[in-house]
Amino acid sequence: MQEVLLKPGMEIRISVEAENISPDKFSNKTAEEIKSIGIRMGNHKTTVGELFSVKVNGSGTPEDTKIVMEGDFSRIKRIGEGMTAGTILIKGNVDMHVGARMVGGRITVTGNADSWAGREMKGGELVIEGNAGYYLGAGYRGEACGMRGGKITVMGNALDFVGEHMCGGEIIIKGNAGILPGISNNGGKIVIGGNTARPGSEMTKGTIIVNGSVDEMMPVFKPEGAEDVDGVSYMKYTGDVILNGKGVLYVRE
Amino acid sequence: MELLIKNAAVYDPVNGIKGDRTDVSIKDGKIVDKVSSGCTGIDAGGRLVMAGGVDAHSHIAGSKVNVGRLMRPEDSRAGIKPRTKTTRPCTGYTVPNVYAMGYRYANMGYTTVFEAAQAIMKARHTHEELEEIPIIDKGALTLFGSNWPTMDFVRENDMDKLAAYVSWGLLASRGFGIKVVNPGGGEMWGFGKNVTGLDDVVPEFEVTPSQIITSLMKVNEMLGLPHSVHLHCNNLGKPGNYTTTLESMKLAKQVKAGKDRQVMHVTHLTFNAWGGTNWGDFESRADEIAKYLNNNDNVTTDMGQLIFGNATTMTADGPVQYANAKLLHAKWGNGDVELEDSSGVVPITYVKQISIHAIMWAIGLELALLTDDPYKVLLTTDHPNGGPFVNYPEVIALLMSNRKRQEEIATLHKAVHSQTKIPGIDRELDFNDIAIMTRAGTSKVLGLLEHGKGHLGIGADADISIYDIKPDEIDPSAEHSKIKSAFSSAAYTIKGGEIVARDGEITATPAGRTFWVDAKVPQSHTDEMMKDIRAKFKNYYSINLANYMVQDAYVTHQNVIKAGVGTAASEVD
Amino acid sequence: MTVITDALCPFCGCLCDDISVVVEDNKIVDVKNACKIGASKIRGHHRIKSPMIRDDKNSDFKEVSYDEAIDKAAQILAGSKRALLYGWASALCEAHKKGILLAEELGAVIDNTATVCHAPSALAIHEKGVPTATLGQIKNRADVVIFWGCNPVHSHPRHMGRYSVFPRGFFSGKGRRGRKIIVVDVRKTNTAGIADEYVEIQQGSDYLIISALRAILSGHEDVVPESVGGVARKDLLRIAAILKEAKFGTLFFGMGLTQSKSRYKNIDNAISLVTELNSFNKFIMMPMRGHYNVTGFGQVCTWETGFATAVDFSSGAPYYNPGETAANDLLYRKEVDAAMIIAGDAGAHFPANSVRELAKIPVVQVDPYWNPTTEVANVVIPSAISGVELEGTAYRMDGVSLRMRKMIEPEHLADEEILDRLIARVREIRGE
Repeated sequence: MQEVLLKPGMEIRISVEAENISPDKFSNKTAEEIKSIGIRMGNHKTTVGELFSVKVNGSGTPEDTKIVMEGDFSRIKRIGEGMTAGTILIKGNVDMHVGARMVGGRITVTGNADSWAGREMKGGELVIEGNAGYYLGAGYRGEACGMRGGKITVMGNALDFVGEHMCGGEIIIKGNAGILPGISNNGGKIVIGGNTARPGSEMTKGTIIVNGSVDEMMPVFKPEGAEDVDGVSYMKYTGDVILNGKGVLYVRE
Repeated sequence: MELLIKNAAVYDPVNGIKGDRTDVSIKDGKIVDKVSSGCTGIDAGGRLVMAGGVDAHSHIAGSKVNVGRLMRPEDSRAGIKPRTKTTRPCTGYTVPNVYAMGYRYANMGYTTVFEAAQAIMKARHTHEELEEIPIIDKGALTLFGSNWPTMDFVRENDMDKLAAYVSWGLLASRGFGIKVVNPGGGEMWGFGKNVTGLDDVVPEFEVTPSQIITSLMKVNEMLGLPHSVHLHCNNLGKPGNYTTTLESMKLAKQVKAGKDRQVMHVTHLTFNAWGGTNWGDFESRADEIAKYLNNNDNVTTDMGQLIFGNATTMTADGPVQYANAKLLHAKWGNGDVELEDSSGVVPITYVKQISIHAIMWAIGLELALLTDDPYKVLLTTDHPNGGPFVNYPEVIALLMSNRKRQEEIATLHKAVHSQTKIPGIDRELDFNDIAIMTRAGTSKVLGLLEHGKGHLGIGADADISIYDIKPDEIDPSAEHSKIKSAFSSAAYTIKGGEIVARDGEITATPAGRTFWVDAKVPQSHTDEMMKDIRAKFKNYYSINLANYMVQDAYVTHQNVIKAGVGTAASEVD
Repeated sequence: MTVITDALCPFCGCLCDDISVVVEDNKIVDVKNACKIGASKIRGHHRIKSPMIRDDKNSDFKEVSYDEAIDKAAQILAGSKRALLYGWASALCEAHKKGILLAEELGAVIDNTATVCHAPSALAIHEKGVPTATLGQIKNRADVVIFWGCNPVHSHPRHMGRYSVFPRGFFSGKGRRGRKIIVVDVRKTNTAGIADEYVEIQQGSDYLIISALRAILSGHEDVVPESVGGVARKDLLRIAAILKEAKFGTLFFGMGLTQSKSRYKNIDNAISLVTELNSFNKFIMMPMRGHYNVTGFGQVCTWETGFATAVDFSSGAPYYNPGETAANDLLYRKEVDAAMIIAGDAGAHFPANSVRELAKIPVVQVDPYWNPTTEVANVVIPSAISGVELEGTAYRMDGVSLRMRKMIEPEHLADEEILDRLIARVREIRGE
């Protein structure tokens, strides 16, 4: 078992590209080795050690590596990008793309995560205890698929375009979601605890469950009557009819 | 500037050299018979040396290429390479940025590439991009097949005016030759319609595709253009279209070549040698096309080889692209050009286990392997329609190794066995054949042999590639992966006598030249023709005639080839 | 006296190319054929006379030489970690190429004015494609023309006369009488005043209405409620029928569509509507681009970098992600540590928070005109007016590239030369 503790060594204003903060990159490395890992702030090449204090206990494979980050990371992007195993616990806020392209392992953010959290995620678990920004679990510009697998949980609210182009996996939002959640859903599951607007546009497959109210219903769904899901009664809709979609939208009445 | 390449295993089909160990001497950017004894030398050590590659059909510049990039940031983020001291940053796989275009061709040993289609009205854009592509020489073919003046003059059967229009259109677009795409269909797509065969009549213009093709071939020969008419057939993308392709090829019999080359080049046969009546009984009829080519000498073709993985289809054939976008539920770019033509851009992914894609993969290879004379089938992927040009080494390896083909076939949808003949073809091409399909033949088809491209004779451009292959030691059939990797990054690429790439790294980025054709016609013909053109601008174009023609500022390194009615071709730098 | 004919107008995306200009003693004394705004652009106003610098933004500018101003600008930019090079809409494509090279050299972010108008259209194009045509196709063929969230009577005064509403063409010999004009907007604009059909919609409901039209056209009118976004179902059915029966339809759209609720997803949805209409007939669409060469920057940036705008070069390779890499994204996050504003007026058109941020950081301005950006600048480098004092390339809203003519001799440096000198100086400072 290896535990790595990172704390910011200074106030960071310009965003840092930190895809190298990941159990895959930190495992079996000493504090000195981790400090020398390259990282970029704007156009300036720097190192983990220049920006963060690093403490390491033990040593282990990526599966056995836990990274604990304490402080404000709201200008640190791409934490855990592409990670395959292990855990990252961020006690604070994080910047964009946390857990992007993640394949396995677990990331927990105790604060808020900025946009594109879990972008193009394939597996593993991402938990955001605060709020999420735009494009949670979405894709990159122009790509046909966003999230393909794994699970994202947001305890607070998420902004617009949750799960855009989702092709698989599961997104659970305890609070509200912004406009157009599940747009172009091609097979993922989205559960929204609170309210949202215009869900499910252009969905062809997958499921969206809204437990709060829907502000504006898209005029592209066929009402299928009431249906119980896990003992709760919902109005069921199928669509998007324009695309002969087989997506299912449940709205609690 | 002198350079001597020693101990080269040269394949130079035009000059009958097949692997002979010899030296190649270079002075001031040209091949010479000897250089001074103390000059810089490269010891090729018995490695393969060919003229720089010449690509006769690739979509490298212009509005539809840029539409492809704009539509596909997901493609642009592939193939990203940061800038270096020598090079600008590269992006993209199927739709690379301008710098990647030049560097990647140069790394493969290619030094001359022709953009396959530009509308005159959008030619300025084409040249802006060509100007930015480093290293390689280039040119662009100009679309004439659905232009209103073309159809008017064809209907009036006025070949003098048509010739004058082509001559003026090449000047206006700084174009190299006549491209014809789905003749007549480009106009009809203006109202969402299409022609369905060679004898359909285009409404309002009262001409048929067959008349358009034949007339343009006639004026092509009247003008003595270096290249022939370059045809993208009608009905492309429809099962059973090989009959339209064959009928189109037969039209070539009506015209006599004014030069030692074909009178018609039919392009990217992967997309129009299709049998069957629907997607269910879809099959390859490349064998029928090959049979025709084996019995006739006035038509050439290129493969348009399919490469599995991502591609971006782009063509002036607007209707086929709308059909593709609908079929694939893909994003759709459409870019019709007033009075001239249509165009469309659609991304596609070719998948080994999709029967249609597996069959299409076989078509290009069958055509190349069943046609006896490699001068009649050029190596292309119709970049990026069949796949990106960086895959030429894969195609070379497939052509040279039946073993590689069989390995590949084993991974494909079973339809490749029932609907194509490729599994039973054991022909393996040799280095001489490959040199023809990528250099000598492409240059001959374009009419560039006499302008120093595609061979290593005295006076030719010193565009040379050296590959890390010893032809007398390698067994291409067994060692096909070595073939592929050697052709992927030339040991040396020399452009105009300068070393521009070494072992996959760009070492210098000189500006390439742009070839275009200045074809003269009698002034009285031009004067008559311009009356019609002026009326078209007054009434129909949305810009003024004075702002139409591409200015000199957009062709800063030009190589003008003179042609025209009654003139012998000559070259002016 | 010289008369320059077939000149191009450096005002809006129409890029009218039939302007005549009368020049006397290197002064433009008459402009013919242009609209009022175009003519006033060509005649010019409020020029910055000399290069100027100041360290403290509260103090007055000091007039300096070009060399001194360029040196100061290069010092600011070369020392930056997160520089922003913004503007470009009123510059020629030749300058855009140099701007991209400078961004590469600096490892900076380059963005253009589309970010506050039609960049959302590009985001939609990434999703769905771009079914379009040149303006002459519309002139010669269109029988149904929609203006959605745009008001060309004010913003593009000659558009309707030259291309879209009134002109007679080959298949459109009846001109205006042969065209059905539909205006969709939230208020009755002047353009709505000349329409055959005016569809008034509730603010922000564009997306819903487009989806309802798509549902109807795909044979699912049963799922469309009695009213969508303030438009009655029966009216939607009638509009859908008009679109379906068009021989050649065109959808022109403006910032009413790109900048309202759902933003680029409105365009995304509209592209699908237009694409699906091609199952019945021919239908194309086009953004009503504002500045005369805002389209050109997108073209150049796309072929140079693979991406249309908002390109971040900080890694040495292009990275593109509007929402993250666009000018206002970075200013909102207070990341930018130096900015060059060239041929575009961030001071006038950016949100107040962004302008406040610009006021805090070193700013270089390159522009012919004194404007609100000047107020937040430390270094001001006056430039010649592109398309009036300089010839070069611009792209019309339909992507047709044209060469702008020089009308009079410049007294100031061209953007291209300023950028060349900046690049050279930055290289010197960085010891390259």
